[in-house]
Amino acid sequence: MGTYLFRRLLTLIPVLLWITVISFGIMHLAPGKPTDVSGGFNPKVSLEARQRLEQLYGLDQPVHVQYGRWLSRIVRLDFGRSFLDDRPVMEKIAERLPVTLTINAWSFLLIFGITIPLGVLAAVKPGGAFDRLTTLLVFIGFSMPSFWLALLCMALFGVRLHWLPISGLHSLDYESFGLVGRCLDTAWHLILPVGITAFVSLAGMSRYMRSAMLDVLRQDYIRTARAKGLPGAWILFHHGLRNALLPVITILGLSLPDLIGGSVIAETIFSIPGMGRLFYEAVMARDYPVVMALVTVGAMLTMLGNLLADAGYAIADPRIRVEAHR
Amino acid sequence: MIRRGQPRASTRLIVAILWCLIASPAAADSQPVTGDAIVVGSIGDASRLLPILASDSASGDIVGLLFNGLLKYNEELKIVGDLAESWVVSPDGLTVTFTLRPNVRWHDGALVTAADADFTYRKLIDPSVRTPFSSSYELVESVEVVDDLTLRVRYKEPFAPALESWMMGIIPKHLLEGEDLNTTPFLRRPVGHGPYRFVRWKTGELIELSANPDYFEHRPYISRYLYRIIPDQATLFLELLTGGVDLSGLTPLQYRRQTDSAYMRGQYQKFRYPSFGFTYIGYNLEDPRFSDLRVRQAIDRAVDKPAIIEGVLYGLGAVATGPYPKESWAYNPAVVPATHDLAVAKALLAEAGWMDRDGDGWLDRDGQPFRFTLMTNQGNEVRRQVCELVQRQLRLVGIDARIKVIEWSTFVHEFIDKRRYEAVLLAWNLARDPDIYDLFHSSKTKEGEYNFVGYDSPEVDALLIEGRRTFDQAARTRIYQEIHRRIAEDQPYTFLYVADSLPVVASRFRNVRASPVGIGYNFIDWYAPRDAQRYRARMEP
Repeated sequence: MGTYLFRRLLTLIPVLLWITVISFGIMHLAPGKPTDVSGGFNPKVSLEARQRLEQLYGLDQPVHVQYGRWLSRIVRLDFGRSFLDDRPVMEKIAERLPVTLTINAWSFLLIFGITIPLGVLAAVKPGGAFDRLTTLLVFIGFSMPSFWLALLCMALFGVRLHWLPISGLHSLDYESFGLVGRCLDTAWHLILPVGITAFVSLAGMSRYMRSAMLDVLRQDYIRTARAKGLPGAWILFHHGLRNALLPVITILGLSLPDLIGGSVIAETIFSIPGMGRLFYEAVMARDYPVVMALVTVGAMLTMLGNLLADAGYAIADPRIRVEAHR
Repeated sequence: MIRRGQPRASTRLIVAILWCLIASPAAADSQPVTGDAIVVGSIGDASRLLPILASDSASGDIVGLLFNGLLKYNEELKIVGDLAESWVVSPDGLTVTFTLRPNVRWHDGALVTAADADFTYRKLIDPSVRTPFSSSYELVESVEVVDDLTLRVRYKEPFAPALESWMMGIIPKHLLEGEDLNTTPFLRRPVGHGPYRFVRWKTGELIELSANPDYFEHRPYISRYLYRIIPDQATLFLELLTGGVDLSGLTPLQYRRQTDSAYMRGQYQKFRYPSFGFTYIGYNLEDPRFSDLRVRQAIDRAVDKPAIIEGVLYGLGAVATGPYPKESWAYNPAVVPATHDLAVAKALLAEAGWMDRDGDGWLDRDGQPFRFTLMTNQGNEVRRQVCELVQRQLRLVGIDARIKVIEWSTFVHEFIDKRRYEAVLLAWNLARDPDIYDLFHSSKTKEGEYNFVGYDSPEVDALLIEGRRTFDQAARTRIYQEIHRRIAEDQPYTFLYVADSLPVVASRFRNVRASPVGIGYNFIDWYAPRDAQRYRARMEP
């Protein structure tokens, strides 16, 4: 098991390197320069001033030199400073990460909390009334543009009913609240963004769960369990669910990068300063250091997620473990 | 047309009456009081809170409340003293001597002196500081601190627009000396001397300022200034509908059609005044078709500008006649916009050799149809719509305009800078000083410079240089009005319109007035009467 993981880890390094080369190349191929933001098409900013800025940021060097410099900093775990405001990239990420993690963790909990029972129950009687109703509901969520749904909910719950805040993460007087007040205030602000992020993703997970469960319920050992006369609920949740959760482990592993990568649309509409907006704004401003840091971290997490999912398999499924030993 | 015009006139009347009801009695009989907070909604976040590095508009908004310059524009666009009590320009125009106000203090208690102004200048020209504003100071020969309150600036040659460059916010020497300005923590925790003090900045969320009780003019009445970052237009508008935002800009559509509910009229005062800039069609003057003045004049007459303003801006704008808007003293009132006249346009085109010889409905010359591409940048819905209207109007005289919408960076670097375009639709936002040397002088045509149309007029070149060397206001007015006239005549651009700025402010704030410089010039005089205040003031430290 140990050597298996170690070997897998080693193969990840060249993959990671390639990802950074490609994304660095793509970023630099895109027209425009970081200095456009502070001086582009402003008659007060002369050509010479812009060229001076480019020089100060090292943008006058050939791309491979710039990449080399970036790489040599990265191996020392120095992600550099943002071109946009000259702050350390890590500081900018650290500032945004907790927000995105909180929102995504809650919506993950909500998604799994709803879709697992939903999928299981739908699979008990495929084609039944409950199955059809839930299918209809989750597909409404799936096919609705999230920004549109978000705006409708904001207009209803915020403007008309005044139940929920429309945007932002905190009330204006947040600083003067006590600890409990602060938690409640944040929770109150999170209801809409978390609810909507979760609602539009229900379809995928509940379908996975349903079909995995259907597969399992057709297996011989389920029939055996029924023949033994075990109670229906016991069969469903003890024998059925545990096996049906296997593909869900894969999805969980692959979702790891999603946990830190926020949604641009939701964060923009709800005015939440999260990772999605950080990335989007960095790309638009050609803020290379921030873009590269986020791409690298994202790639690392994706590969780590794959690895964890494989390891999870190895634990859950003895066949994989045996093969790896051979 | 009449049916559409009628209700609009009546709503305008209602708004006007309501406005009087809200505004006039208050202004007359209540005394300004301190307290309350104003919540400003902004699409973008600030990046660096230091005047010499603040190049985006959000940073500019905040920095403008924290720092003052030596000079400023008053509400009539006249240059007046700010930190400088007075200033003297030597007769040869080569030396400017500023006398600073005594006893102005930084928010940490230190005195603001001429050494701070000198330090600001040194950092602006320091090649290691990442400021985009250095070019305004290239003509400075020396800056000398005569005493604590006197600063003498010498120029290599007389340079009238220089006065505007001393509106740059002055930064504290005692706090920034020896710091690397590009990375100093000061950028996120600035200490100024202006009407407001910095309190906190939650990136992407909120910037909070509080009134400076020791501000040299007087303590601002509004106690807290909250700058909320709301990146989505639709969300920003919903926040207006719930009163979550007190000050924000509107789109023409929102101004005309979506803010007439009883609630909005009760809660907000709407303002409308011309922005300082213009939208235009710029030609590649190297193109043999557009280098012919008659063709440019014909297009000027074929394009129906009032129809564009009505159709795209819902009437919230004015026809531009040249490079200066009406509010500027450089505007030449004698220049009248060419009347929309298809017959004259066709005659001018025929004179230039463009006629429909083969009967296909398009003009042609030497067997080539008059077909060109009008480019604009992506992400600006208004510009795209203007392009479509121009296309339709040019079709009526037989010119086939194709529209191409391109992402901003690509547009600028691949097409404008390299002059790979035939005509572009763009807009300029102008400084208050009318020096447009960078846009129209024939020397500014290198790749990346702003006379990308390739305008070359010896007369205008000479006038632009003379305008830079002349300090006398009457003489400058004459020079720039002449420039306005000549450029309008030469038509290197087809000047389309000046759009209006459309801010709304919560109606509980009094003393809010529109002026040629906008509504913010007297911000420290705004106040909310005690019984209308909404937010409690934070405890003063």
